[in-house]
Amino acid sequence: YAPSWGESALVLCVDVGFSMSNSGPGQEPPFEQAKKVIQKFVKRQVFAENKDELGLVLFGSDATKNNLAKDGQYQNIYVHRNLMIPDFGLLEEIQNDIHPGGQQGDWLDALVVCMDLLQNETLGKKYDRLNIAVLTDLDSPVSPDQLDIITGNLKRAGITLQFFLPFPMDTDEAGGGDVGGSGPPHGGKGLSREQQQGLDLVKQVMMSLDEEDGLDEVQTFSDAIEKLSVFKHVEKRPMAWPCTLTIGSCLTIKIVGYKAVCEERPRKSWSVVDAQTHQKEDVKRDVVYCVDDDEETEVPKDDTIQGFRYGSDIVPFSKVDQEQMKYKTDGKSFAVLGFAKQSLVVHHFMGNQILKVFAPKDDEHAGVALSALIRALDELKMVAVVRYVYARNGNPQVGAAFPCIKEKYECLMYVQLPFMEDLRQYTFPSLENNKKYTPSENQLSVVDSLIDSMMLVEENEDGEKKDLFKVNHIPNPQYQRLFQCLHHRALNPSAPLPPVEPWLITALQRPQAVAARSRAPLENMKKLFPLKEVVKKKELKTSKELFGKGDVYRTAVWKQVGLQNSCLEKGRSTEQLFRKGKVYRTVVWKQGGLQNNCLETGRSTEQLFGNREVYRTAVWKQGGLQNSCLETGRSTEQLFRKGKVYRTAVWKQGGLQNSCLETGRSTEQLFRKGKVYRTPVWKQGGLQNSCLETGRSTEQLFGNREVYRTAVWKQGGLQNSGLVTGRTGFQILNIIVTSLSHIINAILRD
Amino acid sequence: MAEWNAYYQNEEEDLDGEEGEESGVDYKTTGRDSLVFLVDASKEMFIKEESGELTPFDMTMQCVRSVYTSKIISSDKDLVALVFYGTEQSKNPRNSFKHVYVYHDLDTPGAGRVQDVDGLRGEDGAKVAAKTMGSGKTNLGEALWCCSNLYSDIKLRLSHKRLMIFTCRDSPHEGDSERDRQARTKAGDLKETGVVIDLMHLMKPGGFDVSIFFCDVVSPPEDDAELGLQMEPCVKLEDLKKRVRAKEMKKRSIARLNLCLGEGMNVAVGVYITALQARKPNPIKLFKDNNEPVRTKTRLYHTQTGSLLLPSDTKRAQVYASKQIVMEKDEVDVIKKFSDPGLELIGFKPMERLKLHHHLRSPVFIYPEEEMVTGSACMFTALLKRCSERNVFALCKYTRIRNSPPRFLALVPQREELDEGQAQIAAPGFHGIFLPYADDIRTLDTPQLPTASDSQVDKMKEIVQKLRFKYRCDAFENPVLQKHFRNLEALALDLMAPEEIEDHTMPKIEMMDERLGSLAQEFKDLVYPADYNPEGKTANKRKPAGGAEKKPKVDISEDELRGHVQKNTLHKLTVPILKDACKQFGVKVTGTKKQELIDALTRYFQKTV
Repeated sequence: YAPSWGESALVLCVDVGFSMSNSGPGQEPPFEQAKKVIQKFVKRQVFAENKDELGLVLFGSDATKNNLAKDGQYQNIYVHRNLMIPDFGLLEEIQNDIHPGGQQGDWLDALVVCMDLLQNETLGKKYDRLNIAVLTDLDSPVSPDQLDIITGNLKRAGITLQFFLPFPMDTDEAGGGDVGGSGPPHGGKGLSREQQQGLDLVKQVMMSLDEEDGLDEVQTFSDAIEKLSVFKHVEKRPMAWPCTLTIGSCLTIKIVGYKAVCEERPRKSWSVVDAQTHQKEDVKRDVVYCVDDDEETEVPKDDTIQGFRYGSDIVPFSKVDQEQMKYKTDGKSFAVLGFAKQSLVVHHFMGNQILKVFAPKDDEHAGVALSALIRALDELKMVAVVRYVYARNGNPQVGAAFPCIKEKYECLMYVQLPFMEDLRQYTFPSLENNKKYTPSENQLSVVDSLIDSMMLVEENEDGEKKDLFKVNHIPNPQYQRLFQCLHHRALNPSAPLPPVEPWLITALQRPQAVAARSRAPLENMKKLFPLKEVVKKKELKTSKELFGKGDVYRTAVWKQVGLQNSCLEKGRSTEQLFRKGKVYRTVVWKQGGLQNNCLETGRSTEQLFGNREVYRTAVWKQGGLQNSCLETGRSTEQLFRKGKVYRTAVWKQGGLQNSCLETGRSTEQLFRKGKVYRTPVWKQGGLQNSCLETGRSTEQLFGNREVYRTAVWKQGGLQNSGLVTGRTGFQILNIIVTSLSHIINAILRD
Repeated sequence: MAEWNAYYQNEEEDLDGEEGEESGVDYKTTGRDSLVFLVDASKEMFIKEESGELTPFDMTMQCVRSVYTSKIISSDKDLVALVFYGTEQSKNPRNSFKHVYVYHDLDTPGAGRVQDVDGLRGEDGAKVAAKTMGSGKTNLGEALWCCSNLYSDIKLRLSHKRLMIFTCRDSPHEGDSERDRQARTKAGDLKETGVVIDLMHLMKPGGFDVSIFFCDVVSPPEDDAELGLQMEPCVKLEDLKKRVRAKEMKKRSIARLNLCLGEGMNVAVGVYITALQARKPNPIKLFKDNNEPVRTKTRLYHTQTGSLLLPSDTKRAQVYASKQIVMEKDEVDVIKKFSDPGLELIGFKPMERLKLHHHLRSPVFIYPEEEMVTGSACMFTALLKRCSERNVFALCKYTRIRNSPPRFLALVPQREELDEGQAQIAAPGFHGIFLPYADDIRTLDTPQLPTASDSQVDKMKEIVQKLRFKYRCDAFENPVLQKHFRNLEALALDLMAPEEIEDHTMPKIEMMDERLGSLAQEFKDLVYPADYNPEGKTANKRKPAGGAEKKPKVDISEDELRGHVQKNTLHKLTVPILKDACKQFGVKVTGTKKQELIDALTRYFQKTV
């Protein structure tokens, strides 16, 4: 139906009477179908977030609750919800609280209740549309004596009516039952007498409300379900852009522009919330500015000014100056620069919209003038090249206004054209003039047969052309999927997300008929066009490429249960290892039978950091706890240059928070200083263990061929520490001896 | 982000997401591009061809300048060098090469360099060149060696290395086979290290014969066809600029994908962006005490505990009907996924099914990647040829990267076109035009208005014919960008005022009015009743009344001008003043650039002295 932009009020009037539960074998009962329709409808309304109000009235229910019920009248009609903006509560109620009843309800009575509801609750408020949607199988006796009064009231109140039935309206009386997809009710027995009478009444009511199109508003459940599967994007009210088209200084035509095509984006974006509390307010984004010195001193925002790069120069350029010196435009513009051939303009469209330009609605003189321009351009196959400015101080565009003549209207279609700076005029090697790539006649003819078999536009016997795949009829799958997942998550907060709906997958695929037809030509093509994937030779030049291969590890293995612990690091200098192409960084803990790994694979550090969001996540699972150790930041190089570097790993174990820090300048610097620490600290059950490593540069250490890194282990509650330094084996022995004696002393003292 | 968005106040909605993703190449992952201009400085370069307006040297300098400025605007991380050979003087890093003058070593171009090159333009420039460098013996081998040192001295990672030789001499060593051989060897060395060598040969009396010497020096063209060398030498500056421009930027694909025709039929293709809206670069924050850039750090804090939040400590949420729906970051990403990256052929449609209004963003360009799947180019060529001949387009589903939702592309065939000089004006391949989904098309109320009569249409046709011109897509510079960069240039060079820009987006009102003559009034008489005001109430535009609103004319006396000419201080005057002065004294100017105006005035006054 035509888009309406005001608010509307709608009452869903649903038959839950016992006949709604009847169905033939293998058929879904009408009740379930009706429930699906209202679910989908309400879902769409909820996500559309418009101000439309919705009421829900059930009839044929066991209970009775409505304003008109008295003296045994208007029984088994239950007002489930008064007019309200629909919410997830309503969705949940529909899912959980609405069950088939055991009674029969008079749908005309229910209609009266709905009218009463609409009239009472919309009193004093303004709505663009009042509507009642009745979902019923019509299989209950009604008293039609007040029919005229009812239709009269509907008309007077401006209430529109829709019917949703389990069967199509033209189901024949005898019960032939091969009509439509839904089939006849009650196992093919055809319509009951009540249903037949009901159908006649429905026709009568609808025709009296709208003689011409009234019957269009009677639909089957299955049609409705299909239509409602698509989350409809809320129509935006088109924004008029009034302007004047100018040709030279004396010729002007009043125009109004509208966005006609533009990439529709979701109105809502994701906000960041705290993982535990789900509160947006708990998360605060903080931006600090720091000077490029060793201390990385933070400076207040007020102490910063704005600048721009001009090639290698940095030019301070305050906002005020920029504002004053910038290019200015003095208002909206749609000024013709000249006229050009259409063929010279195509293929390089820029911008992200198409504007349609009309004359103002009530200005027929402007209409004639614009029509003259549109027709002149159309006949000459030309376009107007125009300067377009949206508003004062908007950026000017150069664009083309194409003539567009349709049966019902004429307009100019405006599209932005590129500026010189936007173009990258690449040259590509010739294809057709290259003997290596020239296809043979055979090859060309098989391509022809492929094109024939895969034509999406077909002509039927009547010469009518039919397009099998209209992209502009497909709803944007991204949003369909988004709303599907949002809806699912809203009602099932802890369940995993559902798969993509089958209808959507089908809608995005090659139509089945085309796929079948193309099978044979494709086989022929396979034979005639040998395609061979090139296996990349291993060129192990850069570490980037190596890391790309992904098999780089460093392994350290602790075994803490069998009391044998070892910490290994294989390899010569990192460089050497990388050249060999096999480097490991694997750390494996076995603690209490649990196996934990911390792996790091991936691309080169540089690449990772280039992506700006880099983590190095190691996950330990210990006794069901999940702990993570992250590192964010810029490239190591950058960090070290700044002189303040953290590598923080946080373990949370049994409620304790432990941290392991590393500060320092560049590794090189540190090593040169001769004082390097890499201390991980564990707090486990109150015990503190430390593991130190001192030494010269890694290279030096590796040069000595004997390198140890320390692992600390707990054994039966004892505190043990092991030190390794990268001096010569002799020195190490000395140290081990001394430290051992210290330990022994300590134990003895205890 | 919100901050800098403020500078791009367009009417368009905020574009984040995909538009940004496609904006191109990250230097951190690919390294920098580099370009060396190796320019012949021999006497021949300073001799004007009879037919030509400029000397080959002047033409080259204009070209270098335009590359410098365009690099500043579009890719300011690229490195550029300017080296002269065949000079009398020598200047190079270790001064180990004779007759090689490194004017600019490999670095990002800035305002200073642009000014330097400006100094080498025109007749004055020739004098400057003669004074500083002079013309001497030619040894191209030494020059190439010197250039290879420039490359090796760079500590940055270079991804694309190109060297362009500008010369009008086809036999630089005049038959000295020893120096020829040395140059060939050095060129070979350079090519081996991945440097692409191009020849930008300029007009030479009697014709430029590439086969004498240069065919062995330059890199073979990409497609092993002999296309590159068949090119005629450049006579016009425009041609030279175009030729340089086509090579100066490395083509990079934004994605290399399989175009899947059917089960097991994958043609490898690259997706290229051939047009992308150039925007003002983001401002950077500087510390006001020393004008050094500051770094921005963004962190997430927990408001209650004050602790740093790691990405894993957060989730994503949207609120609908006052209910908050929460998802993991990963889930938010993964719901965008429908299929693996690639192009999937759906079918074909006749071209007339592609409508003008099927436009969402600038199209991509698709070209085969023979190196990934052999046989791709052949099948692609066959498809291109038949689609083009049968006037059909291919409809494809396009998934660019892992978690990008699908879009449908119309692949419109474009066959190769060459101009008279064998230069490519249309590349072979498919344009990928983004098709709108149902959501992207808006319903409009179309007004019902009367249409024009034949006589009215005919009158408009006359108007259209009077104002027709030949559209060229590179004819319009973006005045906003140009103004911005001129401002920066002026600030960087401490100029008194930025150079004026010529705004080609403004209609040339006077010229249009003149061409239309009485046609405009005749048309108005045909369509508008006497009492109708086509500008109406809504047209609140201030109409400049016959140029009365123009800036007040600044008159400058002849003596003052003469003084400026003598003191060589003409450049201190603004362009409008210079233009007025030209008009005042009837000086003919070939262009509208400041330098051209100055040159013209200088010439005039020197003659009249």
